[in-house]
Amino acid sequence: MSPVPERRWETGAWVVGLAVNRAGTHAAAALGDGSVRLLDLADPDGGPRASQVHAGACLTIVPDLDDRGFLTGGDDGRLCRIVPGSSGDAAAEPLAEVKGRWIEHVDAEPQAGLRAFAAGRQVTLLDRAGRPACDPLDHPSTVGGLAFAPKGKRLAVAHYGGVSLWWTKAPDVPTRLDWKGSHLGVIWHPAGTHVMTAMQEAELHGWRLKDKAHMRMSGYAAKVRSFAWAARGRWLATAGAEEVVCWPFFGGGPWDKAPLELPGPGSAVITAVAPHPMDPVLAAGRDDGMIFVAPLDGSAPLPLAGRGGSAVSALAWTANGRSLLAGTEDGRLSWITPAR
Amino acid sequence: MTAIPVTVLTGYLGAGKTTLLNRILSEPHGKRYAVIVNEFGEIGIDNDLVVGADEEVFEMNNGCICCTVRGDLIRIIGGLIKRKGDLDGILIETTGLADPAPVAQTFFVDPDVAERTRLDGVVTVVDSRHVTQRLEDSHEALEQVAFADVILLNKTDLVDAGELASVEARLRSLNPFARIVRTERCAAPLDAVLGIGGFDLKRVLEMEPDFLTEADHEHDQSVTSVSLREERPLDPVRFDRWFRTLIQTRGTDLLRYKGILAFAGASRPTVVQGVHMLADSGNTLSWREGQSRASRFVLIGRDLDGEALAADFAACAAS
Repeated sequence: MSPVPERRWETGAWVVGLAVNRAGTHAAAALGDGSVRLLDLADPDGGPRASQVHAGACLTIVPDLDDRGFLTGGDDGRLCRIVPGSSGDAAAEPLAEVKGRWIEHVDAEPQAGLRAFAAGRQVTLLDRAGRPACDPLDHPSTVGGLAFAPKGKRLAVAHYGGVSLWWTKAPDVPTRLDWKGSHLGVIWHPAGTHVMTAMQEAELHGWRLKDKAHMRMSGYAAKVRSFAWAARGRWLATAGAEEVVCWPFFGGGPWDKAPLELPGPGSAVITAVAPHPMDPVLAAGRDDGMIFVAPLDGSAPLPLAGRGGSAVSALAWTANGRSLLAGTEDGRLSWITPAR
Repeated sequence: MTAIPVTVLTGYLGAGKTTLLNRILSEPHGKRYAVIVNEFGEIGIDNDLVVGADEEVFEMNNGCICCTVRGDLIRIIGGLIKRKGDLDGILIETTGLADPAPVAQTFFVDPDVAERTRLDGVVTVVDSRHVTQRLEDSHEALEQVAFADVILLNKTDLVDAGELASVEARLRSLNPFARIVRTERCAAPLDAVLGIGGFDLKRVLEMEPDFLTEADHEHDQSVTSVSLREERPLDPVRFDRWFRTLIQTRGTDLLRYKGILAFAGASRPTVVQGVHMLADSGNTLSWREGQSRASRFVLIGRDLDGEALAADFAACAAS
């Protein structure tokens, strides 16, 4: 096995999230101490540049609408836009502030030119200029997750008891997808045909939108904190078990179809998954700190980083698939460039 | 990762919870507490962390009402643990009308919360002058007393000695395992309130100053406590069978229970405690020097048949 180049830094704070901007020039790690660490992906010798963005903890990070920026939410109630500067320093610009609330769920959709963030039960849509695009959207309980549909015509908001689907151009009354229990995260199928949620219980729930047919995927060892589409939506890769569990979304699946289970080397619970943007492989991180790449054809997994330290809390590939960013709960930040 | 201790403050409206909270936060202890309140800004603290919370009680999707949890608590604790490890504890101030059960159950039911925090104890503030009436007319007041690890019998300056004694006896009969601390304006020493280990199994033995020293009282109220004692060692299989059936059939009526059990052949006592159907047990303790090796079990709940429970408990003795 050829050695896998990895650059690694100890940040001292929980790596809450990782994102790569749309231009692919910079990666950003949002940390539990409220700072963001920016990595210039064109400068393999440079280290992460820290920028204090939030007064408490950063709770989420996503790429912003444009090519360069990122959006972060924090427990100081602020939504911030961060732009890597030419000198390597970042400028942070507050876009919104909701006193006494946490901003934990944020998304941005460039085609629609919309950003969405949740504070308590309300979701606010902001346009490209950062102005509210409509009145705040109300939900029956605190928002557990939100996601724009591909192209941004719709927005899914997860909460207790199900998901609300809004039309983003003229949000009026949402369509409700009901399922008992608390929904903690939501994603759309890349074709916009299915909506999937992760639940308070160790399971997933989902709906096929054309007929609201339910999917219920259980049997996980832990809460499913991380899930993502692999191979252009053919598979839904999920954390929460000792194998990467991939549900088939083709040939009539996932109904009445067994999932693909991709084991890592040895056993530990998977805490993060990140399908490769080009190749039929996916990266997974575990609660023992190990990171590996598993091919979807079931062949042997390739370890990228060994055990030790705490759980892997965030993973992100660059769009070209040449670099993998990884972070852990105890603050390890890794930039890994596996051979292709 | 070390578990962050969590203290839950309950008490009926006007009993003095906020006074206690302000007291805890303003004393020069050098510690940093996150405070979770139900309405943001209810109290003003400059340099401490106050987090607003909604009133979200979740049924799990199995529909079991016994296993309700506080969704807002899970979310907030999930956010707090991501901060750099600078928290010495979390204080949760519940509203005066809140049922403490879903709060306590959250620490049993949610795996992330259970792993990263430790429910140190439930502190209930009661107003000496009004608590007797509240216990008559308010189901929540009863539950708050039933749940307490520590009861701050507050505003003692407003009642005479005789009345105070009778109030205290009434509280003790409802909840024999709580430590009762008499206070004026909530002036209790902090170590009577924080770090008590009341919900922490490892410290139940240290916590049990009056545990079962008093006889069971007769009540016509629906919420009562039943104290069971067995001198003979217990058969673990018999006890397990009885207790599982009990919490499955009567879980909704069992507000809290706590026991120190001597099983036949075991060198250490087993500690059991729980809320409704959610029980936890461990045996990391040793018998103290000179301590009676009797099994003791206290149940607080609605419509408990003390005689039947005593007979069932006695039948768990190893033959």
